[in-house]
Amino acid sequence: MLNDVTFGQYYPASSCIHDLDPRTKLLFLIVYIVMLFVAQTFYGMLLCLALLLATVALARVPFGSVLRSVKGILFILVLTSVLNIFFHGGEHVLVDLGAASITRESLVFTVFLLLRLFLLVMASAVLTLTTTPVRLTDGLESLLTPLKWIKVPVHELAMVMSIALRFIPTLIDETNRIIAAQKARGADFESGNIFRRVKAVVPILIPLLISAFRRADELGDAMDARCYSGSKNRTRYKKLRFSAGDLVALFVAAALVAGVVLFNEYAAQIWPQIYEYIVIK
Amino acid sequence: MENEVQGGRPPEKNEAGNSEAVIEFRDVTYSYDENSAPAVRGVSLCVKKGEFLAVIGHNGSGKSTLARLTNALLLPDEGTVTVFGMNTLEGKNPVDIRRRVGMVFQNPDNQMVASIIEDDVAFGPENLGVERGEIGRRIESSLKAVGMEAYRTGTPSRLSGGQKQRVAIAGVLAIKPDVLILDESTAMLDPRGRREVMEVVARLNREEGMTVMLITHFMEEALLADRTIVMNRGEIVMEGTPADIFLHSERLEPYNLSLPRIGVICKTIQKAGIPVKDCLEPETLAEEIDKEVDARNAKRVSLPYIPAPVKETTHEWDIDVKDLTFTYSAKSPFASRALNGIDLHISEGEFFGIIGHTGSGKSTLVQHLNALIKLPQAQKKYRPKKVKKGQPAPVLPQIRVGSFDLADKKCDFVKLRESVGMVFQYPEYQLFAETVAEDVAFGLKNFRKGITKEQTEEAVRAALEMVGLDYAEVKDKSPFDLSGGQKRRVAIAGVIVTRPHILILDEPAAGLDPLGKKEIMELLHKLHREWCSTVMIVSHDMDEIADNCTTAAVISEGRVVYCASPRELFANAAELDALGLDVPLTAKACGKLREYGVTIDTDFTCEDFSQKVVSLFAGGERDA
Repeated sequence: MLNDVTFGQYYPASSCIHDLDPRTKLLFLIVYIVMLFVAQTFYGMLLCLALLLATVALARVPFGSVLRSVKGILFILVLTSVLNIFFHGGEHVLVDLGAASITRESLVFTVFLLLRLFLLVMASAVLTLTTTPVRLTDGLESLLTPLKWIKVPVHELAMVMSIALRFIPTLIDETNRIIAAQKARGADFESGNIFRRVKAVVPILIPLLISAFRRADELGDAMDARCYSGSKNRTRYKKLRFSAGDLVALFVAAALVAGVVLFNEYAAQIWPQIYEYIVIK
Repeated sequence: MENEVQGGRPPEKNEAGNSEAVIEFRDVTYSYDENSAPAVRGVSLCVKKGEFLAVIGHNGSGKSTLARLTNALLLPDEGTVTVFGMNTLEGKNPVDIRRRVGMVFQNPDNQMVASIIEDDVAFGPENLGVERGEIGRRIESSLKAVGMEAYRTGTPSRLSGGQKQRVAIAGVLAIKPDVLILDESTAMLDPRGRREVMEVVARLNREEGMTVMLITHFMEEALLADRTIVMNRGEIVMEGTPADIFLHSERLEPYNLSLPRIGVICKTIQKAGIPVKDCLEPETLAEEIDKEVDARNAKRVSLPYIPAPVKETTHEWDIDVKDLTFTYSAKSPFASRALNGIDLHISEGEFFGIIGHTGSGKSTLVQHLNALIKLPQAQKKYRPKKVKKGQPAPVLPQIRVGSFDLADKKCDFVKLRESVGMVFQYPEYQLFAETVAEDVAFGLKNFRKGITKEQTEEAVRAALEMVGLDYAEVKDKSPFDLSGGQKRRVAIAGVIVTRPHILILDEPAAGLDPLGKKEIMELLHKLHREWCSTVMIVSHDMDEIADNCTTAAVISEGRVVYCASPRELFANAAELDALGLDVPLTAKACGKLREYGVTIDTDFTCEDFSQKVVSLFAGGERDA
């Protein structure tokens, strides 16, 4: 059931990573992901890996929960690795299977790709594990503010998103309750072919939809009653603020960019003998 | 003038009193759509500054519509509503009205905007453009006013209903309104939550001079008000002080309202010729009875309690629970222990009650009984842990329901669920089919594959008639077109249609008006007599337990603290009190009477209690 889904998987703890401004974390993540794709050598990748491990340690988040985030894309990972190993091609053929072949280049490339995807997902997980959904939305709204100039309703979108986040746990609870109630009436959601299973969802979906509409109605009234009238003349109680920690984080991001770019340039000179094995072309 | 209001409460005596009218309705009529009967019809009403007004009426009497007309969520079709001199129809900006008339709604979950309490309280002031420092001060003072300042940075999801509703009140107070409207804000709360909210509201009215308009269907709450109006079919049918309304209580019946339990007891005793005054508190009732006992020199010991004959059973469907432990989200940072070693035996034939606070583990416990939550050994993935030599084998929970062993992987769980019917809280929210008949037949078709059309129709008809609905009239209707009480009946029919031996209901009467509650409990007794050998209800209403159950178990922090008949259970009022649980008002009155040296031997139902009180006076007057 949905019991173990803690949405956004926020891990409550107090650490310097938790305390960073969500905008810093969002920007950092963007830079980090770009760097994962800019990096052409294993030196750069190792730098990214080291940074991730250091962040996880600083954030006091159990490494297991970061690792678990990869579970969702495991299938894609396996599939792409298999395809790449056999079909990437290259000069130094190790195993020749006719149509497909395993080459040195394909192995290097596959390991590289795996590392890249692993780090990408895990870094995103660190963001959601250390930032509450509310702060994340606030951060997004703040970063997207410039879009207001081209008439994008940033405030309204952020409001929709934060209300959605607020109601997800409520609706998950409700879903669990409905599932249990229909199971108590003998509903079977686990067996049968695809058509039967789709049909079996109807007794859950309809009550859930009706409930969502009912809640939306009441929420709308409650917001009206509390004088909500859009973003006009609205003030904000909580303002996001940059602190010293954010400055440090931005320095680290700059250092990462410099490191990755320098490794791309000068990797050949560091240890020429293994250069062939640590670079993707 | 204003000082007068803020000081002691000046009782307003006449219409031309010197208080200023803050809300005025003049011949207001409103209907939701053109074809339907008006929800509010020709209502004229005046609310004074600093007044505490209660509006009572059964579900659908138009009282919530009245509330929504007051803060311009609805606009009248005919007549005018004037709020602080502003006509709601003319006002260019409803915000001008809403910032002075705050409103708290029924469902605490559906009025929270933010996931953190202080952010939610800040929502109103933010909308009004209040500057940040001031918002901070308002959050602090409004949370303090409702006694929730300790939860400022917490999230609402872990709060009890009463606490959530107090946060909702704080969110409204932060707007600094002059009038506070509570639209059935206590209907979904347990008695403790209801008390918490009512205390806050009464204090705001008394100490801060807040004008309060309380919409409710609980007579008990209306008693706190200065003035009460009774609504029926969109009209005001009675008006007066709560005591006035109380005195003419017989007039309430046609309006589907019932007296509070204590009122019923007073009336019964009065009818037997013992002139006790109408009381609002069990303690005063005890005092009154004692006075009469003294005056008439009556007996000081009531007739002994005679236990009702026990329903004969074969014990084929006994329930046995041993060492039941359960943790939600185990192995995650959110893990929470719900059950902590439950041992419980429920004999066939009982009308069993399970009592406990919100979050005490009651619902988790009953979901084990029909394997909606399976025991760990019964789960597909279960592998027994290897026990090291010299270590005792771990204790595994055991549940037996009749001949079903729930710890066995091979147990026929489908058959079990057919025999153990489960009605969840607010079961009407699980209706889904196009017609009532289809919805009721859902369980039947799941459990009995290959059942014929005629058999289905017959079973559905029987179930609908059992819950008191007319089969021919409702079968083709959409369940969503029925009234609240009818929907709940349909939902119950959908469970009993398979004729379960054991029927479990989680808060079967939650959210209904008093008459609805009474009818549902009567229905359960009928089911207990005719269809189901065991009925179990989960409840936090002690009066409901005292009045209906043969045995009750008190659950606290995941353990069974007591399991006894209400008669034995509520004799230990002090111990229940120590657990933070209420006792029925009859038990309170008995406790007080014992202090006066009067012993009442009763099972604590209203009926038996009144009879036993009357028995003190029976057999003529006695010499001491």
